[in-house]
Amino acid sequence: MRLLPWHKPHLLVRPNNLKLRKLNTMEYFIQQLINGLTLGGMYALIALGYTMVYGVIQLINFAHGEFFAAGGYVGAIALAYFAGIGYMDSHPVICLTASFMIAMAYCAYLAVGVEKIAYKPLRKNSRLAALLSALGMSIFLSNGMMLTQGVYDKVYPGELFQGRFDFGMVTISYLQIMIVSLTACLLVGLNLLVFKTKIGMAMRATAQDKTMSALVAIGSNRIISLTFAIGAGLAAAAGIMYGLYYGSVKYDMGFVPGIKAFAAAVLGGIGNITGAMIGGLIIGMVEIFGAGYISGEYKDVFAFIILISVLYFKPNGIMGENIDDTRV
Amino acid sequence: MRRRVLSIMIMGLILVPFLFSAVAAKTLKIGSMSPLTGPYASDGTDIKNGARAAIEVFEEAGGMPGYDKIEFFPQDTACDPRQAVAAANKLINLEVVGVIGAYCSSSTIPSSETLDEEDVIMITPASTNEKVTDRGLPYMFRMCGRDDDQAPAAAKFLKESLGAKTIFIVDDKTTYSQGLADGVKKASIALGMEVVAHEHVNQGDKDFSAILTMAKRANADVFYMSLQGYSPAAMMTLQAKRLGMDSQIVTQDAVFQPKYMDVAKEASQGVYLTYGFTDQTTPQYKAFEERYVPKYGKIAAYATYAYDAATALLYAIKAAGSTDPEKVKAELMKLDFQGVAKKIKFNAKGDSGSSYIAYKVVGDKFVPYWEPVNGLIK
Repeated sequence: MRLLPWHKPHLLVRPNNLKLRKLNTMEYFIQQLINGLTLGGMYALIALGYTMVYGVIQLINFAHGEFFAAGGYVGAIALAYFAGIGYMDSHPVICLTASFMIAMAYCAYLAVGVEKIAYKPLRKNSRLAALLSALGMSIFLSNGMMLTQGVYDKVYPGELFQGRFDFGMVTISYLQIMIVSLTACLLVGLNLLVFKTKIGMAMRATAQDKTMSALVAIGSNRIISLTFAIGAGLAAAAGIMYGLYYGSVKYDMGFVPGIKAFAAAVLGGIGNITGAMIGGLIIGMVEIFGAGYISGEYKDVFAFIILISVLYFKPNGIMGENIDDTRV
Repeated sequence: MRRRVLSIMIMGLILVPFLFSAVAAKTLKIGSMSPLTGPYASDGTDIKNGARAAIEVFEEAGGMPGYDKIEFFPQDTACDPRQAVAAANKLINLEVVGVIGAYCSSSTIPSSETLDEEDVIMITPASTNEKVTDRGLPYMFRMCGRDDDQAPAAAKFLKESLGAKTIFIVDDKTTYSQGLADGVKKASIALGMEVVAHEHVNQGDKDFSAILTMAKRANADVFYMSLQGYSPAAMMTLQAKRLGMDSQIVTQDAVFQPKYMDVAKEASQGVYLTYGFTDQTTPQYKAFEERYVPKYGKIAAYATYAYDAATALLYAIKAAGSTDPEKVKAELMKLDFQGVAKKIKFNAKGDSGSSYIAYKVVGDKFVPYWEPVNGLIK
């Protein structure tokens, strides 16, 4: 029989020294910690949108996961466009930044539109009506993406940030570093915006009392729109990072992270920005460590056990949702 | 009075076209069931397209004698057993004569029982779990292979071709993936290989870093990945590569979809998978390729099987000259012809035989690599 190129004897009969290269306990722990940090960072970014919207209008925006997915799609389309016109190779950082901007702007716009169409008319009605409207919007957006973008995964182009550092057996990819640092930057930026600027003050005022803040000339409609826009912008950033990290996006990708991020927001104390960040990190970590040390089968169970036990002892979440300065 | 007569006449006029169409157009109804939404929508769409292509070809070749047209009713199961049963009931109400589907074994098994109550013929192009045809349902047929053939073939491949000693198995807890993973585990142990771990992930998961880190630590010779659908498999492959896991990845028939290479990119290179052998040089395959690719895109996992299943059903109905399930079944059992994916000949159970071989991902193609009897394929 003639041996064809793909019949080359495979690496499988590996040199013996390869066998020795096993992760030791410490390396295993650090590797899982990095995995958890990356996942938790993404959850935190999504959770912020839930918590901000809840803080301002006491609505759980179930369509938020779809903003995340839409961000991933817009990012994929923008990056594919840049790759198509050849800018990607010459100016990768500029292209990536531009894609982030485009996706965040688009999702901010989308969120403002969704708010105007689906939530604003119901603001005076019961909260349940708005909640149902949010669920409907979520189904509408996810199926809309399926119909317009197709049922197959949309692939992220190129091999952006695909390198990795190896410390012993611990692997950190450039992407993980980028995700964690960008998440940190966005979180710090959001904190500055909410607690150090006039707009942030207006947001906090609206969250505390819409009527009263309107009396001191704060346009509550504008502030609500802005809250939606910022939350969706952060979700869009998470969506692109997700696409880069996992290599592709799919129309149904918003659902599961959306639920997890919602759990994270509740865990941290819904309505509380710092709480959402902490909640996101905890959910991500628990999931990874639960899967890594106990069983991958029950990783979601661990995340929700933590959620339930925290809520049992602290019904308002870790940071509490009391109306004070920390709430948006 | 005159007004009443007039209104009755108008009513009559409105009804005429309906009466007319009810009498004139005699349609043959064929249904399909596959996930058209949800995480496996892509695989389900391939099945729908394959069956639709078969009906188009059949109609162009003269159609069904005694019928003006063949109507096709694709139903969505979302790979959810409850929705699958609802879809089966809907197809029964539509009075279809046969159903092509479903995709997930966990959908096929309960929905076939619903269809069986009304004696509707079901041919699955994709459900490989043994139970599908082992329950003795009279009108259940299977176009693809069986997992109790696939698992030993896969284990034999791991042992003989790859020389593996240790295996790390992961599945996503569906009837199909877990059944197959258990089968591979059993067969591997029987062949003297060591299964270092058998882990599970959840359907819909996208982040597999925890499990993959575990696999990296275990450092087995082979990482056997039994997942429902190409999409999670592609993500797992990509993440494994990025995490620096060096075990050889081996996977199964659900991953046979060219999109796998698009998503996993170069991480997919050199991955092995077991899938039924399809002779791509037959005139049937070439004709199918010419017809399918321009309209529906690349040929994927179960489009060919769905095409064959629909073709077999239509041939049998034509030969029976009736839609009576007993007669159609008798004709189905008599069929013996070369289809697109395989040679079609049903056995008493309703299976049409398995022909699992190992494929290797080379470039953007699945290259036949190894077969159980003669080893490497040249």
